[in-house]
Amino acid sequence: MTDTVLDAPVIKARNLSKRFGKFRALKGVSFDIPLGRIVGVIGANGAGKTTLLNAVLGLSSYEGELSVLGFNPAKQRSALMKNACFISDVATLPKWMKVSEVLDYVGAVHPKFSRDKAMEFLNRTKVPLDKKIRALSKGMIVQLHLAIVMSIDAKLLVLDEPTLGLDIIFRKQFYQSLLEEYFDEERTVIITTHQVGEIEHILTDVMFIKDGDVVLEANMEELTQQFIEVMVEPGKEDEARALGPIMTGTTFGKSTYVYKNVDREKLSKLGETRRLGLADIFVATMTGEGQ
Amino acid sequence: MKTFAALVKREVLDGKNGYIRVPLILTGITLVLLILSTLGVGNISYSNGMEQEGIHNFSDIMKLAADGDLSEMSPAITLLYWATTALTWVAFPFVIFFSLLGALYEERRDRSILFWKSMPVADWQEVSAKFFTPLILAPAAFLAVVMAAQLFTALYLSIMMMFQGGPVLDLWPVGLMVRSWFAFFAHYLLWMIWAMPILAWLLFVSSFARRMPFLWAILVPVVLIVVESMFLRSHVIANWIGMHLGGWQEVAFGNGDYSIHGPRDVINTILGEVQMDGLTYTLANAQFWLGLVITAGFIFGAITMRKRAI
Repeated sequence: MTDTVLDAPVIKARNLSKRFGKFRALKGVSFDIPLGRIVGVIGANGAGKTTLLNAVLGLSSYEGELSVLGFNPAKQRSALMKNACFISDVATLPKWMKVSEVLDYVGAVHPKFSRDKAMEFLNRTKVPLDKKIRALSKGMIVQLHLAIVMSIDAKLLVLDEPTLGLDIIFRKQFYQSLLEEYFDEERTVIITTHQVGEIEHILTDVMFIKDGDVVLEANMEELTQQFIEVMVEPGKEDEARALGPIMTGTTFGKSTYVYKNVDREKLSKLGETRRLGLADIFVATMTGEGQ
Repeated sequence: MKTFAALVKREVLDGKNGYIRVPLILTGITLVLLILSTLGVGNISYSNGMEQEGIHNFSDIMKLAADGDLSEMSPAITLLYWATTALTWVAFPFVIFFSLLGALYEERRDRSILFWKSMPVADWQEVSAKFFTPLILAPAAFLAVVMAAQLFTALYLSIMMMFQGGPVLDLWPVGLMVRSWFAFFAHYLLWMIWAMPILAWLLFVSSFARRMPFLWAILVPVVLIVVESMFLRSHVIANWIGMHLGGWQEVAFGNGDYSIHGPRDVINTILGEVQMDGLTYTLANAQFWLGLVITAGFIFGAITMRKRAI
């Protein structure tokens, strides 16, 4: 995407930790996230994604140093929320409220909410304004919530599994409009999802989390250039093994070897090469060999 | 201010069953009963001696009363209207109790707290809205319904009286009615200020209970009372709770020399002396101020719990 680097990062974390009793959910992570990025936070269940995001959003306490848009989230959540917004967990909209009442409420408490914009998004959906949230389908609730957050002129948007339970067509449309109608150089979006493949084309950066640690923080472009998968032609296996693959497997009866930081031209002599998908890079990194 | 108004509006929407539907239904039931009892040209059941005095219907009573002391008549009518709305107030303590107990509990249970917290609203604002809406707006809503019901009763009786040929105007002691509404609300507010530590306790329970806030709210004080009476053989806690829930009135008004010989004295006492006595007693009472300090503690606790809640 863009390479805008601003002096003050949107999120600056130093030695950020969180304990639940004896369990260390975050083990002193440090990172910076600048403005104008779409960052995918990727990790297995229980790796600490939600713990990390909760700390960033001022939803939980933490140890260490954390600054989000210049605020201390633990102490200044309400001030932070003027410029940050989030969807954490599915179906958190109040079920007893009518759709129009939710819009009224957000309009009254949020100085940066544009009702016109929200209506524009909602008019593309079948969400009825006069019904209670309780009466909407799961998909409609998500559509409503997304319409609301995308109508808030925030600098930071955090989406924790935003499209869970939605069908593929809607998910595609959502990421499309997030990219085209919401994202710009003045905003940062952080997304976690299990459907890594669906977001990898919109991400500018990724962060891999494993057991409470940030194990990888990289620019998407650079990362995908590092990993190359080769479908090795029969007879060249020994040669391929000599170059030190980090993963091996077989596809359609052919051996596939995955390399990290090996010259592409060298690899293309072995067989057909292609870039590795983010999901595969994640697996390669997590299994330890990609480190 | 705009934010606070939106929060209060949200609380009213959330609690509209309790704040609006309950008084409407109960008042509706009362009014239907009133109408049913006066149907059949307003004949009333005879009790001993009434036949001799020539009473056949409501209008006859009114005429008879109008012949008597008129200064007793208006207060009596005013009190009658209040009596017809008594049923409505029975539900009121329950509405307040469950509103406060659910205020910070339900939002955690249905996870909507994650949505509320994504808005630029501070936790102290949320907690204050959830404390003051049931305290101020719920009684205002109840009173509004009651006022409408009293006016309706007056109107209904007037129409009946026109057919029966009684003194219609005597059914409209408007000045007294309006004053009684104000006096009622003023007295209510004083009562609530006394009860605040108990009400704040309910809100605090709703902020921390993982489940069954009802049991927490009731069991903790009950256990404390039992333990105290078992080991110390005293009843300080029970007395303290009783005092704040309304017992203060006995002391505040118990010493007063109110000579009451009829409806007029009742009304005059309620509208006049009692209000001032209650206020002066309250402000001079150390227990009252201690209660406010405890209230502040519970509210602070509720805000702290809400900050941590997800």
